[in-house]
Amino acid sequence: MSATSVTPAPEDIIVSKKLGFGFWLCVTWVGLMAFIAIFASALPLKSPTANFLDSARGRPPYAPSWSHWFGTDKDARDVFSRSMYGARISLTVGFAAITAGFLIGGTLGVISGYYKGWIDRISSFGFIVLLSFPSLVLAILLTSLIDRNLLTVSMVLGLLSIAPVGRLARAATLQYADREFVLAARQIGATNRRIIIKEILPNVAIPMSSLALLGMAVAVVAEGGLAFLGFSVQKGITWGGLIQLGSDASKTLQDAPWIAFFPILMLFLTVLSLNFAGDRLRTFFDVKETTL
Amino acid sequence: MRYYFQRVALAILLLLAVSMLTFGALNILGDPLFNILGPVAGDVNNPDSIKMIALAKKEFSLDRSLPVRYFIWLSDFVRGDFGVTFSSTGQPPVSGVVSERLPRTISLVFLAQMFAVVVSIPWAIIAAARAGKISDRISTINAFFLVAMPNFAIAVILKFVFSLKLGWTPITYVADDPLRSRLFQLLLPALTIGLPVAAVYQRLLRSDLITTLQQDFILLARTKGLSKTRILFVHALRPSLFSFITVVGLNTGALIGGSIVAETVFRIPGIGSTLVESIFRNDFPVVLAIVMIVASGFVVINLLVDFAYTLIDPRVRR
Repeated sequence: MSATSVTPAPEDIIVSKKLGFGFWLCVTWVGLMAFIAIFASALPLKSPTANFLDSARGRPPYAPSWSHWFGTDKDARDVFSRSMYGARISLTVGFAAITAGFLIGGTLGVISGYYKGWIDRISSFGFIVLLSFPSLVLAILLTSLIDRNLLTVSMVLGLLSIAPVGRLARAATLQYADREFVLAARQIGATNRRIIIKEILPNVAIPMSSLALLGMAVAVVAEGGLAFLGFSVQKGITWGGLIQLGSDASKTLQDAPWIAFFPILMLFLTVLSLNFAGDRLRTFFDVKETTL
Repeated sequence: MRYYFQRVALAILLLLAVSMLTFGALNILGDPLFNILGPVAGDVNNPDSIKMIALAKKEFSLDRSLPVRYFIWLSDFVRGDFGVTFSSTGQPPVSGVVSERLPRTISLVFLAQMFAVVVSIPWAIIAAARAGKISDRISTINAFFLVAMPNFAIAVILKFVFSLKLGWTPITYVADDPLRSRLFQLLLPALTIGLPVAAVYQRLLRSDLITTLQQDFILLARTKGLSKTRILFVHALRPSLFSFITVVGLNTGALIGGSIVAETVFRIPGIGSTLVESIFRNDFPVVLAIVMIVASGFVVINLLVDFAYTLIDPRVRR
């Protein structure tokens, strides 16, 4: 940034003004996963719960083959279709959690950053209290006490995302709350409500958009971790649960690694895509910020 | 001095809030009486059950109001008495369980943190020195891959490759083994926790180092003819460590979460795996004690991080 620097900033060399091929590839992958999650039952997939016992091949699990691309598990269920159906709960929880986190945390953050004073102090203390629990510990504690269904698990993970989202929203709002255009809007008699919605929100939304993708990645991983430990949605298939099923006994993992590894691959690619897309978006908007 | 007092006061306030939340959640969302007695708790028509319920209520002070119970529990807790486990005998006491298992978790988290810091600093320095070149790009891609790998997935992969296929490391942790072999048994769990964290640290420190390397005093050091290594390690590193240290501190929470997963996969009887087991057994005092200990440890570490700040940059104190 300083005019005296002789060599150009290496970051500037890397950063291009385009989102790039990688970004769109990642978005495509996430979109594909979302599509599969929504339309899984309409797609020509094998039933995720049916038993494909094949007496000619002996006892299951069966290794990957043409009829079962990802192999089958110990109950001769098709790992490919289970991995596809697993996207449902994992992505739904991830999406619902980060949406709830943005609605509550974002609102709290913007309000406390804009009004400051006692509202700010109370909500900031609330954020710190939430952040004082290691997040997985709080998630386990809460999910163990409730009836675990899609809604409650999403809400618990949403609660966990309130503090990080709220802190970023507050910091971003503080940056803009005293800028000239806000002052100008106030001078011409705009109400606080109008200023927040029309002046602050569009500016705060830019840094928050990349956090939405990164946060969804975190929520998907958190749901996977909960499912892996047995604390996610009780009924249904999730990636974390599939991985747990394939690895709880050392013998299963050793003899039939595909049961755990294909769900790991799906989870990994999805989280990688969300992370990468979020990161590209962040650098993309930061560049825009400096040219303003 | 005033700064230190304020931070300590805030930490104590935080711990009180955290303990109230945990205690409240377990008592209001959960049913402590059911957790103690099982189905007997709901059997209010049987005179024997009524007697047992009355006895249990008295023993665990459940006949008192919630705030009173909280204060009884709190005063016991700060004196190191964490109550009794909900087993038929009440043995061992929770403090016994914790003092047996906590050191394992602490050494695991410490090993993981050490690994992450020791790996990430040179990795970041090398990457920053070659920023934008092909080797830096490859390392960035590697870091991305590691960050995107959830730790339970890493645990499964490491277990598969090193314990099951190669047979280099034992599958289980044996508490009676000598220290050296126990540390060896902690190797894979520590890697599980440390690998993604190392990547997070590397990405952060690399970008901070790149920013520092743009500064004028680095240019001065270069014109003085100092070697590149000396500039990187001595001049650029210290001012770049600021956010690195915060994140290392804040990440202890993620490490504790990771240790729950790693202990479960690698069957280490630490407090993380005990927490999971106790929840499934509805062992309420153990859950409460572990959550409180973990949260307290986390708050104290963040306090120490804040103090460490003042050593790097004394301006913070004012």
